[in-house]
Amino acid sequence: MRKVGGRNGGRALTFTGAVLGLLIVPPPDRPTAESLDALALRLAGMTAVTGFEQAMGDSLLALLPGATRDPTGDVTLTLGRGTPRRLAHCAFDEPGYVVGAVTPDGYLTLRRVGRVTDRLFDQQIEGHRVTVFGDRGPVPGVVGVRSIHLARGRGGEDPPFTVDQAYVDVGAASVPEVAALGVHLLSPVAMTRQPQRYGPDLLAAPGAGSRAACAALLAAARARPRVRGTVVVAFTTQHLLGPRGGAGLATVVARQGPFSEVREATLPVRFAASPVETVSLGAARALADDLTRWMERAP
Amino acid sequence: MMRLLPLGVAVALGATPLRDAAGQDSARIAETQEVLAQLVESYGVSGAEAPVRARVARLLPDWARSETDTAGNLWVRLGSGDPLVVFVAHLDEIGFRVDSVRADGSLALERRGGFFPSLFEGRPALVHTGHGDVPGVFLPRDSSAPLTHAPPPLAASVGTATAAATAALGVAAGQTVTMPKRFVRLAGTRATARSFDDRVGDAALVLAVRHLDRARLRHAVVFLWSVREETGLEGARVAARALGTAPARVHAVDTFVSADAPLETPTFGVARLGEGPVARAVDNSSVTPPAALDTLLAVARARGVPLQVGTTNGGNDGSAFVPFGVVDVPLGWPLRYSHSPAEVVDLRDVANLAALVGAVAEEW
Repeated sequence: MRKVGGRNGGRALTFTGAVLGLLIVPPPDRPTAESLDALALRLAGMTAVTGFEQAMGDSLLALLPGATRDPTGDVTLTLGRGTPRRLAHCAFDEPGYVVGAVTPDGYLTLRRVGRVTDRLFDQQIEGHRVTVFGDRGPVPGVVGVRSIHLARGRGGEDPPFTVDQAYVDVGAASVPEVAALGVHLLSPVAMTRQPQRYGPDLLAAPGAGSRAACAALLAAARARPRVRGTVVVAFTTQHLLGPRGGAGLATVVARQGPFSEVREATLPVRFAASPVETVSLGAARALADDLTRWMERAP
Repeated sequence: MMRLLPLGVAVALGATPLRDAAGQDSARIAETQEVLAQLVESYGVSGAEAPVRARVARLLPDWARSETDTAGNLWVRLGSGDPLVVFVAHLDEIGFRVDSVRADGSLALERRGGFFPSLFEGRPALVHTGHGDVPGVFLPRDSSAPLTHAPPPLAASVGTATAAATAALGVAAGQTVTMPKRFVRLAGTRATARSFDDRVGDAALVLAVRHLDRARLRHAVVFLWSVREETGLEGARVAARALGTAPARVHAVDTFVSADAPLETPTFGVARLGEGPVARAVDNSSVTPPAALDTLLAVARARGVPLQVGTTNGGNDGSAFVPFGVVDVPLGWPLRYSHSPAEVVDLRDVANLAALVGAVAEEW
C-alpha cells in the first residue's frame, strides 16, 4: 500500500486499515459435521431422568464455557447484550424410574418418574439392561423376565409388561449387598443406552430427537455467533413434570425473561418414544446452521 | 449305593466349592471370565456358527487338535480305549434370519430358536453379512397394532428406503440378525449377557480341556461343540449318527433354566445361583438313570465340587445319542432369564462346572 501522508492521508490509512482489519478477522468457529455428530452421539448416550438431571447438567456446563446453572438445574448461557432479548431452548430430561423399594433378597422395585405417552414404555426395560445411578456411580443391572423355557405356554395374548412387574437384578442377594453398592431408595434407574448409528446418516437412541436437537443448539452456542441484542441459550429440566413446558423452562423465563421471541430446538423423528427413536444427523446439522443464523439475524 | 435324592428338588451337595485360597479362586474366576466373555461377544445364530467355532478353536490349548465335520460341529478327541465318553455343548444362539428384502428396503425376518419376540422389538440390530456386521434396528410396531405383550411379526431396517440400497450394503436374504451384546459384570461374581446359553457350556468345555490331566484319562473322550441345537439338535444328530453305538455315555453341558428369580413359579427348577452346577436330571428330552446320577454325585463329592440336582424344561443335545443306547447325563448351571438379552449367571458356578467336566472326564 502506498503511504499517504498528511491528515487526510492519515485518515485514509486508518480507514484502509480498518477495512483490512474487518476483512482478515476470522469468521466465528462454525460447527463442523464431525463435531456435531460427535456431540449428538455423546448426548444420546447420557441419562437424565426427570428431576435427576444433575450429572448431564455437569456435562453441559463443561461443554459450554461461561454457562451457569439455576436452582432448577437448567443450564444457560447468555450471548450478546441489550435488547431485544430472545430465548433458544431445548429440554434434556427423560422419563425413567427411581428405586421404590429393595426386596429382602436384593432385587430393586421401581416407581416411574416423568410423563410417558407410550403404553409400551415399561415393556422397554423387560429383559434388558438398566443402569442404577447410585451414590458411588453407575451400577449395572437387568430387569428380570420370565425364562421362555418355564413360560408354560403363557405370553401370547398377555397384556404389556408394567413397572409393577419389574425387579431389577444387580447381582446382589440381600439388602446389605445392595446398600454396599451405593444404591438406595430413590436412586435413579434408566434403560442402559446403546446409541446406534446406522444407514446413511441416522442415529437411534431413546430420545434421540431431543438429544440431537440439544446437540444442534449446543453446537450453535459453542460457535459464539455474533448475536444482535441478547440471546439466552437454555438447556432445561423437568419438562416431563409440572406445568406445560416444564418447571425448568418456567424458571428460565421467570429469572431471565421476558423474551421478545422464543425458539425451541426440535427435530423430526421416526419410531418416536421407542428405544430406537431415529433422527437424521443431516437434519441436526441443518438445525445447527439455522439456529446460528437465527441468533445472528437482525430481529 | 448312595440314597437317591427325590427328583424335582434342587439340593446343594458336596464340600465347599473349590476355593483353596482366595487368590486361586479369583484366578479361576478371572480365567473363566476371560474365556466366557470372548465367547459371548462372538455372534453365531443357528446355522451361522463359524465365528463362535473359530473362537473356540483359538481358545483351546495348542496341543488340542480340533477337526470340523460336514455339519460344522467342532471335535477334539483325547485318550483311547473303552468306554467312549462324549461331552457336548452347543455353539449357536437364538436370533433371526433374513427371509427376504422388501421393496422398501426393510427385512422380513424368520425366527431361529424359541424366545419372546417382544425382547427384540424396537432395539438396535446387527445384520451379520459375512463381510462384516451392518447396523440397523428392529422395527417397533406402529400405533395401529394391538396393544399386547407380543408384537406382530418383527422386521428390521438398515436405514435404507429401497431394496437396491439395502443390497448395496451387502445385506441379503439368508443372513442372520441379532442384537449387539456385551459381557457385563454385576455385583460379586454375577454377570449378565445375551447367549450365556450355551456359551457357558462352550466355555466349560474349553476350560476343562485346558486343565485336563491327560495322564489320568483312562478311556477315550470326545469334546464336541455342536451346531444348530436351538433349531432341533441338528448338529448333535449328525455327531450321534457318526458315533453310533460306540459311546457309553454322553454329557450335554447346557443351561439349567432356573426358577431362582422373582417372576418364576418355584414349583421346580429352583437351583440357586452361586451354589454350584446342576445335574439336569429330568428335562423335556431325557431322564438321567438313577444309578448314573448317583455316580455323578460321588465323582463331584470326591473332587470337592458342589453339585445341585434338579429338573427343568428344555431339550439337550445328549438326547440325540440316546436312540443308539448311549446314556445321557446332562450337566448344567443355574441361569436366570433364559433366552433374553439379560441372562444372569454366577461365575463361580461356571468355574465349578468346568471343574466337574474335568473330574468326570478323568474319573468316570
